[in-house]
Amino acid sequence: MNPIGSIGTLYPSALARADAPVAAPKIALPSQAGAAAAPTDGFTQMLDGLVGAVDAKQQAASAATRKVLLGESDQLHQSIIAMQEASVAFTMMVEVRNKLVESYQELMRMQV
Amino acid sequence: MNLISGIDVTAGALNAQKTRLDVVAQNIANAQTTRTAAGGPYQRQVVSFESELMRRAGSTAAGPVGNNLQSVRVAAIAPDRTPGQQVYNPQHPDAGADGMVTMPNVNIAYEMVDLITASRAYEANLSVVKNARQMAMKALEIGK
Amino acid sequence: MIDPIFQTDNYQLARKLLDASVLRHEAIASNIANVETAGFRRLDIAPDFATQLKTRMAAGDFGRTADSLRPALVEDQTARSVRPDGNTVELERELLVMNRNLVEHDFLTEIVSRNIKQLKLAITGRGV
Repeated sequence: MNPIGSIGTLYPSALARADAPVAAPKIALPSQAGAAAAPTDGFTQMLDGLVGAVDAKQQAASAATRKVLLGESDQLHQSIIAMQEASVAFTMMVEVRNKLVESYQELMRMQV
Repeated sequence: MNLISGIDVTAGALNAQKTRLDVVAQNIANAQTTRTAAGGPYQRQVVSFESELMRRAGSTAAGPVGNNLQSVRVAAIAPDRTPGQQVYNPQHPDAGADGMVTMPNVNIAYEMVDLITASRAYEANLSVVKNARQMAMKALEIGK
Repeated sequence: MIDPIFQTDNYQLARKLLDASVLRHEAIASNIANVETAGFRRLDIAPDFATQLKTRMAAGDFGRTADSLRPALVEDQTARSVRPDGNTVELERELLVMNRNLVEHDFLTEIVSRNIKQLKLAITGRGV
């Protein structure tokens, strides 16, 4: 499943310029080097990395919660914090997706 | 699910203090009992405590280390063998040939002090549980 | 990529101290339960936990390496015995420490909570 990744194959040159502002300064993107090699790779790498990181956070949260549910751990506060962090990570992924969809639609509206 | 921290420890302590209160009540109730089923006057009962190690249910690799938590339990309820006071009362049904009655070795003032100490310890443990619950409720509100 | 967001010093420090706060409450529960047990020595958080925290913070990489530092319970060596049987628990002092710990716990949950809410606000632009 890579619907957003397919944008790169349609408009590579437009996205080569779009790559730089997407790399937000406070998040160290591993794809900075990748963007120099090929713009599409950097983009999909970034998104894959994002999905992987969010998934890892969700797994950690569900593992912590399962431990509390089964009585193996009594660290209630850590389980709550893990769940909140997972929710923040997920919200961020959703917002990135929203912004990408918005910019795609903006591009599609451009008069050629 | 052990969501309130330290609740096993406090439960053991509450049980132990309750047992002590019961024994003190029994002593006070029998302060004048000169004839028991076993014969002889009532012997004051004394509760002794000992600490027991609480095993923490599992510990994660990144969590805190706390394997030396100790609760308390009643070690034994033993009779106090010191002889009771001898009172001269020839009309008493349990008086001996010399008219002396052996009273139980219960000192009411002593028992009252014990009662107050046990109540204070019981209330202290109750406030521990109350605070632990408050901490858990606050933790549940994180991020909301 | 997500992890650096959560690796600010204050946030990770608050999380570690929250662990220590819950552990301290368990130690207090243990101490109050054994207020009359002969020979019992009161428990508390090991003092080298605080010193290790400080050195790690000064070293500057606390955000990423916080996981390896764990608070532990040890016998409090500074407590003096108030009874002939060697028991070092003073009930009033334990109750005071417990109340202070409660306020500390509230403060730490507030810090963690605010950090998370601020992140959500930054990401979505809306309150919650």
